[in-house]
Amino acid sequence: METQAVDGVKLFIPETYDIFWSAVVLVVVAVFFYKFFLPKFQAIFDERAAKIEGGIAKAEKAQADADAAKKKYEDQLNTARVDAAKIRDDARTEASHIIADARVKAEADAAQITANAQKSIESQQQQALVSLKGEVGALATALAGKILGSKLQDADVQTSMLDSMIEDIDKDSAGKAK
Amino acid sequence: MAGVAELMGTTGVALAAEFHVPQIDEFLPPEIIFAGTPFAMNRIVMVRLIATAVMLLVFGITAARAKLIPGRWQGAVEWLIEFVQNNIVYEVMGELRGKRYVPMITTLFLTIMVFNLCGIIPFANMSANATFVMPLLFAVWTFVQYWRAAIREKGLLAYLKEELLPEGVPIPVYIILAPMQLIDIVLIRPASLAIRLFANMVAGHLIVALCFAATQFFLIESHNMMAGFGVLTLAGGFIMTLFEAFVAALQAFIFATLSCVYINLSYPEEA
Repeated sequence: METQAVDGVKLFIPETYDIFWSAVVLVVVAVFFYKFFLPKFQAIFDERAAKIEGGIAKAEKAQADADAAKKKYEDQLNTARVDAAKIRDDARTEASHIIADARVKAEADAAQITANAQKSIESQQQQALVSLKGEVGALATALAGKILGSKLQDADVQTSMLDSMIEDIDKDSAGKAK
Repeated sequence: MAGVAELMGTTGVALAAEFHVPQIDEFLPPEIIFAGTPFAMNRIVMVRLIATAVMLLVFGITAARAKLIPGRWQGAVEWLIEFVQNNIVYEVMGELRGKRYVPMITTLFLTIMVFNLCGIIPFANMSANATFVMPLLFAVWTFVQYWRAAIREKGLLAYLKEELLPEGVPIPVYIILAPMQLIDIVLIRPASLAIRLFANMVAGHLIVALCFAATQFFLIESHNMMAGFGVLTLAGGFIMTLFEAFVAALQAFIFATLSCVYINLSYPEEA
């Protein structure tokens, strides 16, 4: 056991070569971690963080754009709806105007036509009355001539007779009219 | 099965039916290359150099191929880096002070952990921290850093006055307090860091080696009624190997955390 105790202390007495190799290892390892390993991973971490932040910002921008576009289209849709309603109302008003105008014109035309017809009827009636008067006169003269024969050859008699006859007819028609 | 004890680093082939108890000598192996020069290497130094090479290669390739979208392995490495940064350095010192020390503590944590893990890697079977100088150099690095921080932040005399002659203490107490504090900041802090790590590695190796040496002896070399006990020691060795993996990470964590604490003590009280 005594030799072991001495050996135990030996563990803590550094050998030159052990110091040398341990120092080499420590320096190599430290340089590796300081100069290469950690900067490399730090760059990766930073790049990743930037990417994630950039991605989030991009997504937010896209969302904002989409919202703006949606609002724009909704506004346009509303405007279009209002426009359509206005056009429809206008059209309806115009149509009613057109109908009213057409009715007024038609009524005026109808009145004109009626008036013209009335006039034409009246003039034709007048013509018929005049021609009737002439024909009746001739007919009556002829008839009376036939009845009276030569007795009426004298022009004076003929005229006075005709006048008295026409007078009678006038009286007659005037009485009828009353 | 016959190679287990040998694999576990117990030197030499045990003679038939001879219980080979792991010795302290195993931590003072003979120089095998460049013997007698200052560049001599023994088995533990070789393990240390190979471990360094493998670590630089693996981490170097990982860093060189690091992508924005990490794969599983890169994700695991990144988790380690962020663990050291957030859960060790920033946890103890805060982000403002800690930023400057993140590379140092990351170097300490990852290197110590990889070196410790050599203790359970087959054919190495010896922690690369299992000679006293390596843990001592790590501790010296911390020592230098907390003295530098103290001189930079407070000035040497102000720091010594604050540490050795703290205010609000009765003057006679200074006679005991001042030397104790001086020994603490000069010797105890780095020594405790180095010895804790070194002793854990030595003890871990001895226990695992002892378990497998016992298995070798009971199960293979002496076919007798004690074979059952050999099964028990085999299970023990298995469990202790797993425990060593845990200790490897735990000791790296403790070393890194205490380094942060010591450096942080050099800063003035207010944040």
